[in-house]
Amino acid sequence: MSDTPGPPPSGGAGPSSTRKEPPSGSAGPLTTRTSPRRGAHPLARFLVRRVLLAVLMAWGITLVTFVLTNLVPGDPVAANLGQRALGDPAIVAQWRAEHGLDQPLWRQYLLHLQGLLQGDLGTSQQSHRPVSQDLAEFVPATLELAGAAILVSLVLGVAFGVVAALRRDRLSDHALRVLSLIGISVPTFWLALVAFYVFFYRLQLTPGSGRVDAALGLAPAVTGMQTVDALLAGRWDIFSSAVAHLVTPALVLALYTIGLLTRFTRSAVLEVLGQDYVRAARAKGLPGRVVLFRYVLRSALVPIITVAGLAFGSLLSGTVLVEAIFAWPGIGQYAYKSATTLDLPAVMGVGLVVGVVYLVINLVVDVLYGVIDPRVRLQ
Amino acid sequence: MATRSQTAAVLLAGALALAACGSGGTPQAPAASGSKTLVIDTSFDLKTADPGRTYEPTGLIVGKAVYETLLTFDGADVTKPVPALAESYELSEDGKTLTLKLKQGATFADGAPVTADDVVFSLTRVRDMKGTPSFLLDGVEVAKTDDSTITLTSQAPNPALPFILPNPALGIINSKLAQQHGATTDAQDKAEQYLNSSSAGSGPYQIESFNVSSQVTLKANPKYYGPKPAYERVVIRNVEAATQKLNVSRGDSQIALNLSGDQVTGMPATLQVKKTASANVIFLLANQDSAISGTTPNAKFVEAVRKGVDYAGLLELAGEGSTLAPGVIPSQILGALPADQAPARDLEGAKAALAESGLSNPTVKLEYPSELTVNGLSFQPLAERIQANLKEVGITVDLQPAPVTTALDNYRNGKEEMGLWYWGPDYPDPSDYLVFLPGKTVGLRAGWKEGSNKELEEAGEKAAAAIGDEAREAAYADVQNKLNAEGPFIPLLQPSQNIVTAASVTGLEYHPVWTVDIADLGVK
Repeated sequence: MSDTPGPPPSGGAGPSSTRKEPPSGSAGPLTTRTSPRRGAHPLARFLVRRVLLAVLMAWGITLVTFVLTNLVPGDPVAANLGQRALGDPAIVAQWRAEHGLDQPLWRQYLLHLQGLLQGDLGTSQQSHRPVSQDLAEFVPATLELAGAAILVSLVLGVAFGVVAALRRDRLSDHALRVLSLIGISVPTFWLALVAFYVFFYRLQLTPGSGRVDAALGLAPAVTGMQTVDALLAGRWDIFSSAVAHLVTPALVLALYTIGLLTRFTRSAVLEVLGQDYVRAARAKGLPGRVVLFRYVLRSALVPIITVAGLAFGSLLSGTVLVEAIFAWPGIGQYAYKSATTLDLPAVMGVGLVVGVVYLVINLVVDVLYGVIDPRVRLQ
Repeated sequence: MATRSQTAAVLLAGALALAACGSGGTPQAPAASGSKTLVIDTSFDLKTADPGRTYEPTGLIVGKAVYETLLTFDGADVTKPVPALAESYELSEDGKTLTLKLKQGATFADGAPVTADDVVFSLTRVRDMKGTPSFLLDGVEVAKTDDSTITLTSQAPNPALPFILPNPALGIINSKLAQQHGATTDAQDKAEQYLNSSSAGSGPYQIESFNVSSQVTLKANPKYYGPKPAYERVVIRNVEAATQKLNVSRGDSQIALNLSGDQVTGMPATLQVKKTASANVIFLLANQDSAISGTTPNAKFVEAVRKGVDYAGLLELAGEGSTLAPGVIPSQILGALPADQAPARDLEGAKAALAESGLSNPTVKLEYPSELTVNGLSFQPLAERIQANLKEVGITVDLQPAPVTTALDNYRNGKEEMGLWYWGPDYPDPSDYLVFLPGKTVGLRAGWKEGSNKELEEAGEKAAAAIGDEAREAAYADVQNKLNAEGPFIPLLQPSQNIVTAASVTGLEYHPVWTVDIADLGVK
């Protein structure tokens, strides 16, 4: 199983045998070949269908998050009021009314939906602020971290996978396969603790907790991403501090996806390398670089993109632990705190954001399929 | 074949990517000490910076720095309230009226003077907003007699009031400024958002930025009328205990507040480690409601548990700096039982009591919050140790751990057969511990209804009305001795609050109400 990914890369016995050439670099021939049958542009039709489906899924997410959060045992009142205040029924009743918990469940859901349509995610019980405002503050920090991690994993994972495939069964291949095995099997929270201990405490190569040095303070918020905001403000000291703080958590977070991508890329590239058109291209005397990037990688990309999309999801769940250990103020920490204090609106808000991110990623992956592999649109 | 050059190219690309990432990792110079920034790492328990709604440990640290109260405590001594915004106070002989004289010359951060009207508004707001700390002023009428005199009147004798007033929740806010931003003295109050981003107080610090789950930044109040604090900027960060230890060891922070006894052993000699018994008392409860249990209401059973627990072993588990709790009132507070009355194990006595109880090989359920730690001490090993202790007596304990929010539900509804919990003082006065009596908040959680123990209830009423330190000490000692003899609670210990600071930080004292007074800290 481990060496053959789910979706078969192009070039199996199927449709591609009817093609003489692999998909070429330009988009031109693709669109002509998949010329519309019913007037509308096929890509547009494809997009509309996917977006509609995504909206339906988003509604499903609201229902699931609402039901799940309300199934949690324990009374939010107990988690949010002090022990003495709990003894006063007037305070308890007022608190429940303030947070709409005195309404029947179905009504709470309808009110929740109505709020969502107006862009209102409710008010957090812990911060006493609109959840949307909280999320606007925490999501950029996580995006910065997860974005850096996915970038690193795409670059390294694909590069490692290609190297391993090209040098199959040699020492570098074995070394990379061991590395990817470690990446996949080591638990993230453990790795985070060890990395923090080794690089910060022992070797003093990286800085401590947080996003920038406490003495510097944060750059004025524009995007909420420290690296970008520091550049916008022209503060090189904050920028370098922010980058230095980003390195270890991003690499820790990326290690799993690097391992995953290395394995999938390796097997996808190996499969394509054996194809006739690759051999033919080489026989024609095309330079190795052209063969690799235009012929091999392009065909191998479909399974890689599938895995990358899935990997982004696991990255988001990994942030909860990594953020806790590196004191990174993102949605992971927010979600953890909300869950432990039964802050239901905040929990639902985080659930919704993560769900929507998944939907968007899946949508992007689907669209990319269409761009890379015309057969997807033909169906 | 071209594969060799391809491989080289890809390897090079990978190496470049790595190098690009690596170059960002160049070590930062440690925070410049000239800028006088103090970094405090703590596990956040924080909801708000509005003093009228503050009740969580981290919030009290912030509240203490930003707002001033009428009275306060000197250092860590909580047995004697001292002047703050009020220069003097006097409690009437019947204990019902507290008269306070305001200090002249105190100003808010915007330069406005602190007036009697601000005091009346602030205290009335806390009481009537029905927030978490409202109970502090339950039944207390606040009035201004003249421009510099405030009277607080209670229906029943309230000798605890001078001990309640130092609570940062009762910080005095600039009423004009707060009212412009929606402050009212009822549940309609809308000033919280404003108070979370700016400070309307007269304290030595102002809020620079405030975030309930990651970081709070304070800056020195330039208009503070008192002595200037030593640190210009103070950053309070939300950091896990394990990470706190590494940060403070490497100078990334100067203070770590939440380390356990294990974590502070073997700290580098360059750091100061302060171990002080906290004011949190961990106790066992045995439900007295026969509908909940057929075993625990048996007085001889409770005696067997009380004698069967290996207190010395638990103390060792809790670590250095912890102390045994002779009664429910912790050692810092007036009325605490002397340390030589601390409980000790009496295994034979326990077995004898169990034999007398008429129960044979009883099995009980012990519920506790599994992930809760008090001052770094986790409840899980404590519960396991108690289970082992009682096994030797002949009592089988069935451990029932649950997440704190779930466990709290059963606890506060009085549904636990046996429970392992703690009580931290709401204010450092023994009257806060009358909640353990029959029919009161914690008494009811142990299924102990009003009228279950008339003698004890009368002793409680007497203690509540006693005036004068000596009379109060005697009355509360009496209540606790009776509670230990006949009550369903078994006080165990006060875990150590371990605070680690950099060598440069001076003047740190653990305070049972607000943990740390940042303005008291100095720099060496």
